[in-house]
Order: sequence, then C-alpha cells, then structure tokens
Amino acid sequence: MSHTDTSRRFALSVDRRFCIVAILSIGSLLIVALLTLTIGKLGIPVTELPQALVGRAEGQTAFVLERLRGPRLATAVLAGALLGVSGALFQTVTRNPLGSPDVIGLGAGAGAGVALMTLSFPLFPSSLGAVLGAAIATLAVYVCTGRGFRSPARTIIAGIAVAAMAAAIIEYVVSTQLRDAASQLAAYLVGSLNASNGQDVLVTLGAVVLILPAAIAVSRDVSLLEMGDDTASGVGIDPNRTRSIAVILSVLAGGAAVAAAGPISFVSLTAPQIARRLLKTSNASVFSSALTGALILTAADLAAQQAPLVAGLPVGVLTLGVGGIYLGYLLVRERSKGRL
Amino acid sequence: MGLATAIVCSLFFGGKLTDPADIVSALRGSGEPYVSAVLDARIDRTVMGVLCGAALAVSGVIIQAITRNPLGDPGLLGVTVGSSAAIVTAASITGSGFGSGSVWIAFAGALVTVVAVYAVGARSASGSIVSLVLTGAVVSAVLSAYVQAMILTNPSVFDSFRFWVIGSLSGRDTEVAVMVAPALIIGLLIALMLSPSLNNLALGEDVATSLGTPVALVRAGGIFSASILAAAATAAVGPIAFVGLVVPHLTRSVVGIDHRWQIPVAVVLGAALLVVADIAGRMIARPEEIMVGIVTALVGAPFLLLAVRKGWATR
Repeated sequence: MSHTDTSRRFALSVDRRFCIVAILSIGSLLIVALLTLTIGKLGIPVTELPQALVGRAEGQTAFVLERLRGPRLATAVLAGALLGVSGALFQTVTRNPLGSPDVIGLGAGAGAGVALMTLSFPLFPSSLGAVLGAAIATLAVYVCTGRGFRSPARTIIAGIAVAAMAAAIIEYVVSTQLRDAASQLAAYLVGSLNASNGQDVLVTLGAVVLILPAAIAVSRDVSLLEMGDDTASGVGIDPNRTRSIAVILSVLAGGAAVAAAGPISFVSLTAPQIARRLLKTSNASVFSSALTGALILTAADLAAQQAPLVAGLPVGVLTLGVGGIYLGYLLVRERSKGRL
Repeated sequence: MGLATAIVCSLFFGGKLTDPADIVSALRGSGEPYVSAVLDARIDRTVMGVLCGAALAVSGVIIQAITRNPLGDPGLLGVTVGSSAAIVTAASITGSGFGSGSVWIAFAGALVTVVAVYAVGARSASGSIVSLVLTGAVVSAVLSAYVQAMILTNPSVFDSFRFWVIGSLSGRDTEVAVMVAPALIIGLLIALMLSPSLNNLALGEDVATSLGTPVALVRAGGIFSASILAAAATAAVGPIAFVGLVVPHLTRSVVGIDHRWQIPVAVVLGAALLVVADIAGRMIARPEEIMVGIVTALVGAPFLLLAVRKGWATR
C-alpha cells in the first residue's frame, strides 16, 4: 500500500517537473527568439514586431523578417529540435551517453557528399549531396558493424573510420577549389545558418512534422529495451524492429538537420544530456530533448550574430568550442567523483 | 626487403614519366639536368616518407601499448590539432604563409598540447587511461573550433592552411628533414629503451608493478617519446592519419606482442607504407598528384572498417 503511494507520488513529481521544465524551455526559447529578431543594427523595433508577425510589415522590416532573420531563426529552432530528437533516440538505443549521429559518421558523410556535389555537379542543390552522403556513411557503418548498431564499441570505431575517410575527401575538395568557393564550403562544413532560406525552413519543418510524433511514439518502446531484450519481448515488443525504427528515425532527423544547416557538432550529443539532467531522469524524453536542442542552437546562433568576438562566425564553430568545454566540465566532474 | 623495394620504386616512378635508364645515369651523377632535378625531388620526398612513416608508426605502437587501446593513435593526444592551432596562430600574426620556420612552430604547438592533455588527464581516481583519451577529445574539439574560427575569418591564413592540413611529402626539402631528425632519433631511442617495460605494462598495471616496473615513469616516458615522434612528423609533412593506427596492428600480426620486436618492425613497415602510399598518390592521378595524407585515409579507413567487421578491433 505504502509502496504504491510512493511510486504514484514519484510519478506525479516527475510529471510536474516535466511540465515546469517544458514551460521554462519554451519561455527561454521565446526570449531568445525575440532577441534574435529585435536586437542589433538591422533589428526589428519591438513596437513593430506584432504588426510584422501578422504580415503587415513593409520595407526593411519585412526584408529582415522574411529574408534574413526569420528563416534563420526558424531553421535554428527546427534544426536544433531535430538534432535533439536524433541524439535522444540514438543515445537510448545504443545505451551510450556519448552516442550521437556524429558518431556514426552522419555529419562527416553529409559534408563529404556536399563537397563532392560541389566539385562534380555544382548546379545541383548541395542538400541533395548532404542527404546522399549521410545515407552512404550510415549504411557503411551499419554494414561494417554487422549487428545493426547493437555493439556501441563497433559502431563508434566504424564511425571513426567513415568520418576519417569523409574528412580526407572534404580536405581534397577544399584544397582543389578556388579560395572563395573553398572558404564558403569550409564555412558550410562546420555548420552554418548564415545563408538559411525558405527552402531550409521547409525541409526542417517537414522533417519535424513527420519525425517528431513518430519519435515520441517509438521512444517508450525504446526505453523498455533498457530492461534487456528478453524482458522487452515479454511485454510484446520486438527488440530488433524497435531498435531499427529508432535508428532510422534518428538518422532521418540528423540528416534533415545537416541538409539544412550543415554538420553542426555537439548539439545532438549535449541536448539529451542536458534534458536528462533537467528532468532528473535516467533517459531524456524525446520531446524535452527536442526543446533543449532548439534552445541550444538558437542561443548559439544569437551569439554568432551579435556577440562580440564571435559575431560572423558559423554557428558550428561556437557549438564545437562550447560543446568541447562542456565535455571538459563533465570530465572534471566525473573524475572528482572517481567515476573515471 | 619490402622497404628497399619501396624506396627504389619511389625513385623510379612518379608523376613525371621517366626512363629507368635515365634515372640510373642520373644516380651516377651524369644524367640530363631535367632528370636529375626530378630525381632530387624524389629523393627528398622518399627521405621524408621513410622518416615520418617510421616515426608515426612507432608513436602508434607506444600509444597503443600505454593506453592498452587497440585504437590508439597519436592524434588522440592532441598532436595534430595542437600543431594546426600553432600554425594558424603564427600565420595570422605574421600575416604570411608558412616558411621553413613553421616546422618549429608546429612542433612546439604539438608538444604544448600533449603536455596539457597529459597534465589534465593523466591521473584519475581509479588510474584509468580513459580520462586521458577523453581529455584529448575535449582539447581537440576546443582547439579545432579555434582553428576554424581563425581560418574562416582570415582568408590568407585559410589559403595556406588548407594545403598544409592534408599532409604531403612534396616540396619538403632535406633542410626540414635535418631539422626534425634529432627529435626523431631521441624519440626512437627512448622507445627502444622502454620496450621491455612496455611488455610488462601489457600484463596489467598491478603485474607490472610487482615485476618492478615503474609504471608512472614508463607511461610518462612513453608519452614523451610518442609525442615528439608524432609532433616531429606532423611538423615536417602535415597531419597524416592512420599510419599510427594501422601499422601497429600489421606489426602485431607479423611479430606478435613482444615490443622489443614490434618497434623495429614498425619502423620498417611504417616507412614502407608511407613511401608506397606516396608512390600511389603520384601514380594514380598523373600528371596531378593526390597528397599522401588523402591516400592513407582512403586506404586506412576501409582497413579499419574491415577490422571492425571481422571483430579484430573490438576483442
């Protein structure tokens, strides 16, 4: 009796915590969005913003909203959410807190695809190259691990190999391009929202609409796999099928984000970790991980637009640097607890 | 044998078609000026290939022994990214390309980075090597963000960096080889001295301690020699992936686990591998050439994938 009470109260407190975290995340996201649209030299005055948002803006305001900062903000929110979803699913499936689509060479493969596309077929859209490259890289890792991503060690090593090969291709293409084209390519290849446009918004929006509900639906089954395959089959879940669906969704989400914004590092790695810590649960929920990812990427991109010293850099440089420092912090903390 | 063949081939074949008879007469010092010039360039790059291939391979052997991680690679300790960061910093301050002095800068950057990684990551509560590897990953991430920021905001730095970062044996003259030779010799000597202790370390820390091996000292010495070997090679020819990763595996399959044999054999295999990769890069895309760093990555990565597939890499 008392046992039931405790577990119910526990469930309630988790739900409440979930709601609070969700509301706070959405609130912060709105603040970051407001800042992104309003501050700086071309910022839209706050007084004009409501008018502008309902489509009654003219001249510079309309241009900034519809062509410059609007698409950029929307792409950041959506791509960040996709990266969060991708990371949450992948980390739960592989049971590896360092698991992220970067690990299976997704970003590097997409980069190599874009590089080769730019070199051989400059007239085709580069996002096509990104999708093809990501698919080939993922497939290569899948085939070489032999067991469908089930062994984390094998997955990571195969990912390293594929990423190294992709890096060699990218370096070769960058070295053969003229300086300006190469510089542009290099900026895209570290992950950039500088040139986000309506097409990127459509790609990411479509992906979020299709993938997020499916990901939320499958995440419950995936978390049941934590108890072991036998237990999961006992409650009527096909472990292999569930795992495959989750990995495919994760790859699709990561691939769509990369196609729109380039291989932005560390967001899909850190978003689930942060969400998990906020929720104080063992696994990050897909939904809060998506929110966290969106928040990280929009905040990073706000910094990439406005902060002194880093303004003008591709957002991927920021996430790489800050993510690296965060990883360092985790390392120091784990070590002080004697867990490493 | 293999190495000797590789060296001879490296002199006779290349991006420029030459008649073997001309090469022989040029070797005697009596050939046409054109052939002699081609031969001189080939000798220079062959020397660099032998030195750097050997250095990277031995560095890989030591790192895999010390971390007891079959995937250990000099890049793990931050050697590559450390020299990249130093190179772009120097180039952005001086505003020029990379002269021969950049060898020292790259070398210093690599060493400083390795020392930093080691100082932060070496001692952990449980004595595990994981934190060293993770620290290397963190430092690599932060420094590569720095490198990206520098090259993307500074077109002239970007321009020279994008060629350096690939790793190529072409256009490095013997002056560079002479500069890095002392570091290579010191690193190699330390490696040979340490090899019996590395055998003990392979049995586990506790066993090594009970056999009287000063584990901490061996580890520090090993990291030092691995770092200066890899740093010197990277400084001389730019970052070259996979030689340090793959050669130790090849070596083990040839001579087994005894490090007293592994290190000399790695010298030969590493030198031969890099020279052969360089020849391939020159031959495939005639009259252009594919830089050796790309060849090693494109050949080494499938090898690693095969190793994963067969389960060698994850025993």
